[in-house]
Amino acid sequence: MTAGSRLPWLVVPAALLLLAVYVWPTLGLFRTAFNEVGPTGAMIEAWSLKTTGEVLADSFTIELTLNSLWLSLSATLIALCMAYPVSLFLFRTQSRFRGLLAVIAIMPMLVSGVVRVFGWLAILGDRGLVNSLAQWLGLISTPMRLVFNWTGVTIGLAESIMPYMILALLAGFGRLDRTLEEAARSLGCTPLRTFLRVTLPLSLPALALAAGLGFVLSMSAYITPKLLGGGRVFVLATEIFEQATTNTNWPVAAVLAIYTLVLLLALLMFSNVAARRLQR
Amino acid sequence: MSYLELAGLQKRYRDSVAVDDVALSVEKGEAVALLGPSGCGKTTTLRMLAGLIDPDAGSIRLDGAEITRQPAHKRNMGYVFQSYALFPHLSVARNVGFGLEERRVPRPETARRVEEALGMVRLSGLEGRRPRELSGGQQQRVALARALVIRPSVLLLDESLSNLDAKLRDAMRHEIRDIQRSLGITTLFVTHDQVEALTMCDRIAVMKRGRIEQIGTPEDIYERPATRFVADFVGRANVLPAMRNGAGAISVWGVTLPATAPADGEVDVFVRPQRIRLAASGEPSGEGMVQLTGRVLRSVFVGDHVEVIVEGAGGQLSVEMQSGTKPPAAGTEVAVLWQAGDTLLFPREAT
Amino acid sequence: MPTRRLVLQTGLATIAAPALVRAQGLSGSITLMSYSGIFQDNYVKAVVERFQQAFPGVKVNYVPGGTSAQMVGSVRAQKADPQVDVAIMDVTTSSIGNIEGLFEKLTPAEVPSLNELHPEARAAGGDYGPAVTFDHLVLVYDTQNLKPPIEKLADLWRPDLKGQVALAAPPNIQGLALTAMVEKMEGGDYRKSIDAAIKKLRALAPSVNTFEPNPDGYSLILNGVVKVATGWNARAQLYGDQTGGKIAALLPPEGSVFQINTINLTAGSKNRAAAIAFVNFALAQAAQKAFTERMFYAPTNAKAAIDAKALARTAAAPESRGRMIGVDWNEVLKMRDQWNNRWRREVIAAAGR
Repeated sequence: MTAGSRLPWLVVPAALLLLAVYVWPTLGLFRTAFNEVGPTGAMIEAWSLKTTGEVLADSFTIELTLNSLWLSLSATLIALCMAYPVSLFLFRTQSRFRGLLAVIAIMPMLVSGVVRVFGWLAILGDRGLVNSLAQWLGLISTPMRLVFNWTGVTIGLAESIMPYMILALLAGFGRLDRTLEEAARSLGCTPLRTFLRVTLPLSLPALALAAGLGFVLSMSAYITPKLLGGGRVFVLATEIFEQATTNTNWPVAAVLAIYTLVLLLALLMFSNVAARRLQR
Repeated sequence: MSYLELAGLQKRYRDSVAVDDVALSVEKGEAVALLGPSGCGKTTTLRMLAGLIDPDAGSIRLDGAEITRQPAHKRNMGYVFQSYALFPHLSVARNVGFGLEERRVPRPETARRVEEALGMVRLSGLEGRRPRELSGGQQQRVALARALVIRPSVLLLDESLSNLDAKLRDAMRHEIRDIQRSLGITTLFVTHDQVEALTMCDRIAVMKRGRIEQIGTPEDIYERPATRFVADFVGRANVLPAMRNGAGAISVWGVTLPATAPADGEVDVFVRPQRIRLAASGEPSGEGMVQLTGRVLRSVFVGDHVEVIVEGAGGQLSVEMQSGTKPPAAGTEVAVLWQAGDTLLFPREAT
Repeated sequence: MPTRRLVLQTGLATIAAPALVRAQGLSGSITLMSYSGIFQDNYVKAVVERFQQAFPGVKVNYVPGGTSAQMVGSVRAQKADPQVDVAIMDVTTSSIGNIEGLFEKLTPAEVPSLNELHPEARAAGGDYGPAVTFDHLVLVYDTQNLKPPIEKLADLWRPDLKGQVALAAPPNIQGLALTAMVEKMEGGDYRKSIDAAIKKLRALAPSVNTFEPNPDGYSLILNGVVKVATGWNARAQLYGDQTGGKIAALLPPEGSVFQINTINLTAGSKNRAAAIAFVNFALAQAAQKAFTERMFYAPTNAKAAIDAKALARTAAAPESRGRMIGVDWNEVLKMRDQWNNRWRREVIAAAGR
């Protein structure tokens, strides 16, 4: 038996698992999307595009989409600005604590999303760390609203996607080489110019990869917008959750889920093309 | 005062000293090699010159000006890295023009100088290529052109030929030496390859464990090594244990040498294989010659010479004979002869 | 031949003493799905354990099912092979299950306790599972830090409460109930229009700290995040007791709305007889009395003799009953999406991002 003929058998367990936990439920999702909803929320088995039509025609869907895109964009950019220097440092450091530092950087991944959110409440709340400090320093007299709104969700989301982006950056820094920066320095570049002309261009593929990942994660995040949004932040993920678990409106939830899936696939393809172009 | 002066240069890493009290004077237009085994501090010295690392002590003066603490980008040193360090995201032309762009040289002049530099390294026509589309030798030339085009105060070459195959290395050696000579550019060349050092430089500084062992012309270094390490590291040598016999005289293989032992302690005799001549046994030795006798053990044809191994009373030694001459057959009794002046004596090192 | 012997014993016993025998004859296990947390703790103590004493052969597995919508979702997903026998959930979601055929109709012949229920308790489920608890929307407030305490619904608009209010916006039923209450306060009727309520709530929006209290309004008050929140009476009473009176519940004089939990028998239950026995037991006087006295949900069994002190803390107290606004949840459900949209666009939007 050759390795080639054995290979298909090796992927069977993974394929079966995927089939069971992903393909089958996804088919169920598609099936549900064709159902209709009665006036009080009861699901009517059907093969119709009525629900799809209603969701797509609803101006609120556009609002949700724009909200999702805007939130994901701002969270991703903030996270990128924070993750990039951290990753550069981790990539370069010769410290023997490098492994430990890397673990610390991705530690938030190991904490449940709910716990992290309550941590942010303690920091950003009216009587939280930031407001207490600002008031103690006399910078403000009444607390700033940092949570239960878009600000809080953006901060919380940026923090929650950052570890993933750090990992993506570290994985993507392939062509980054200290010697290239030294070459630039020897050719007359100040540290800043070196960063702009060498480090940054060479990190672009990694940045694109990390941004793509962060964006997709933000688009599908619902715990953070739900718990930190104070009911003011409406995005696709929270609406899907709300429709499914508060309104019992599975068909609308299914249509929105498929809509989001398509949107994400399109964005992923776009980011892949962009990353490949930057790699060249 | 010389063009480039290093004095008391030192660099420590945690518990080890990488460069220790290095002093070196380089004249304008001179090519100097820093030669030594890996870890001897030669690259560290070069990087301190370029400003890529800060020395812990000592000073660097260039053309009379103190540059020890000057940042790398202000030093105007042309550095050619061992890995070439070409910018993978830029074309060959942009790579070569990089330093000129940083110096805000007007565009037409940049274009002209890039073209000129690429012509000098014989890469005209490859301006639009990306580095990864070039062969190793071509990348080497781009790196050289990039360092030269800025008209550097000093050209620094860090093991620049070590990634090339043997044939290309030979060609590049001459090419770089020619360019260096024609431009009259002061050059520091780090290498662990003695042939590179001997053929490409006006002077060689041999380094060992962070210190300079000897500085001199290639002939000095080769013919008159100051230390046992230099004699051992540069060129090949037969090392023959010497015996002291009484009043300061020493003998090898039972033959007393016309030389006096420098100090007390055990000594070894160094003789270059190509300075040894074989003759028929019993032939009278000339004036000022050392003569030992032995038996030919075997001969090995190496191509440009034949190596003959001779066994005598005190061990073996190797003799290089010109290729084309017929070596004596194995088992033949021979006389081993060399000029007394070619005998080098060094104290034996504790092993 | 255990089966034949069992059948024989059962048959003989049936002739001898029907009631006793039914209790002894039932066996196996049933699964009850409802809310988690303090509801589960108290319901198990007050009802489930009593049932198991009365029916030693039946084991009741209490499965926490999340929100009502999640529960009806679970039952829906298991339609082909039901794992849940009895489900207690909000009437707005159980009615969805009734329409979809997930639950069975109940008759007094099988469930004699039905005959003892308040008419509105029967009406809540129609022919299907009736109300098993009544609760109502209250304003929960911080008794330590809110001076003076709130006394009416209109107090929510007090300027000193700016940023101190947590309320659950629609589609949460607290938000739906609040809408009906504010409309009534403004002299309107939710069945006709909620314009007045929306206008008034819009003015309240800037005072609202969160429109989605997490984990709930009671905790936000206890943690000092807000001073007033919407909540349910039963839980507010219990938390008030547990915290030594740090929070209190106010039934606004302007009126409140019932929240109704129904008890439902899953269609296709694998242990139907035991499940019916449990439904009947849960609706009977003893269980109703025990649960009301323990957790202050108003009883749905009209004949349950509840301790007067406990009763006074529920909506079943005569002075409370008078304040209740009759809300037909089935009607509200039909308007839910529309209310939801108006909240999002007119109320929450006015609160700023």
